[in-house]
Amino acid sequence: MKKDPLIIAFCCNWCSYAAADLAGVSRLQYPGSIRIIRVMCSGMVHPDMVLHALQKGADGVIIAGCHLGECHYIRGNEIALARAEILVETLEDLGWESDRLQIVHVSSSESERLVQAFCDMHKRLEALDQTDFAAVEADE
Amino acid sequence: MKGRRRPRLSFVWLQACSGCEISLLNSGERLPDLLNKVEIVYFPLLMDRKCGGEGEFDLPEADVGFVSGSVSSDEHLTLLYALRRRCRTLVSFGTCATHGGIPALRNRWSAEATLETVFPGTPGQPTLPAEVPALLDRVYSVDEKVRVDFCLPGCPPHPETIAAVIETLVTGEQPRLPGKSVCETCPTIRTGEMHRTVRRFLNNAEYNSEEPVERMRCLLEQGLLCMGPVTVGGCGGPATPLCVQARVPCRGCYGPVRSEGNQLLDMLNVLASHGVDHRSIVDRQSLLRFSGAHGLLRSVRKTEGVVLMSEKGNKKSS
Repeated sequence: MKKDPLIIAFCCNWCSYAAADLAGVSRLQYPGSIRIIRVMCSGMVHPDMVLHALQKGADGVIIAGCHLGECHYIRGNEIALARAEILVETLEDLGWESDRLQIVHVSSSESERLVQAFCDMHKRLEALDQTDFAAVEADE
Repeated sequence: MKGRRRPRLSFVWLQACSGCEISLLNSGERLPDLLNKVEIVYFPLLMDRKCGGEGEFDLPEADVGFVSGSVSSDEHLTLLYALRRRCRTLVSFGTCATHGGIPALRNRWSAEATLETVFPGTPGQPTLPAEVPALLDRVYSVDEKVRVDFCLPGCPPHPETIAAVIETLVTGEQPRLPGKSVCETCPTIRTGEMHRTVRRFLNNAEYNSEEPVERMRCLLEQGLLCMGPVTVGGCGGPATPLCVQARVPCRGCYGPVRSEGNQLLDMLNVLASHGVDHRSIVDRQSLLRFSGAHGLLRSVRKTEGVVLMSEKGNKKSS
């Protein structure tokens, strides 16, 4: 049976959560697989939180922050970017596909950009889980 | 009734180097006092007492059982179950028992790959001698296999800590260990200015050997990979952490600060948050060299170009 991927999106309070809000009032359509968690800054998302989400059953994690240079806390999103870089490399070491994590930068008016990122992630995870499933079945 | 007879202690080792037991023997003047208060009923390093083998172990009853070393073969598992049945309080003793320790480095490869490396035979068919017990699929820490009442990390734990823990345990109370990182007890000077890259250990730290450690600059800030921020403190007892005393960076042998922490991820996070280039680390996975159990170090299985983990395979198919 095909199952919908589950995506945890950490959205920063100042830009991307507002963008998600705007996507809602603009009635933009996106997959129902997204679970948004509002954080004050994308820079506060510790890599452990991403790993924890994956271990507890999420299929993918999105970290959404403000555009570089526009962080409410000066350089929180730069830290988030640096952390995402180490995660992309380390997830493979820890046994997860690096595709399961994505970082996006959106401003509060760019709801389409955020929705696009949600849709892309959903599609990518569906494709990933298809190959995964096939490979597991072939293996057994 | 309980106060009359001396509490009975039992020491069992699994895949270990006996360093933890030697550390207990190093506790100096406290040791004779301690030995007067307790009765040791089983301790392979100190006394000769056979307890069977070949699938079952007949261990003596004990109030407190200490188990050092990680669980990596069938025999270890049987011995561990026997100890759990025969003692009231079980202490996992040393980092191998609490977090996998050095033996868990083998988790980077599958059990088959390990056997083929250690006992090379014909390809795909390792020649395993008959007296060697079967390996488990990976190296486990003790708490992954049985219920553990107290975890005493350290490679090895500080002698005074061990003595204090035993003294507390035999009175029936739960001992307390420091829960803060090595950095909390490190007296070196921190300025907040980090070296942009991680230097290799080919260069020494900069310090003046005439001056005390308190005058030395923080080793991590000097660009040496010091695991202090992500390692639980206590290695120096009440004093400066041992490695820092010797002017070398912490290697992380006490395991993560929170018992479920991931030293590799946390350390890279520390570096990333401070703008240090983490790509300059030569062998990244070695940051888990003391805490590879709990499924943190895993062998990657490749199937037709798709990277698959055995555990994840189970999750999908169940």
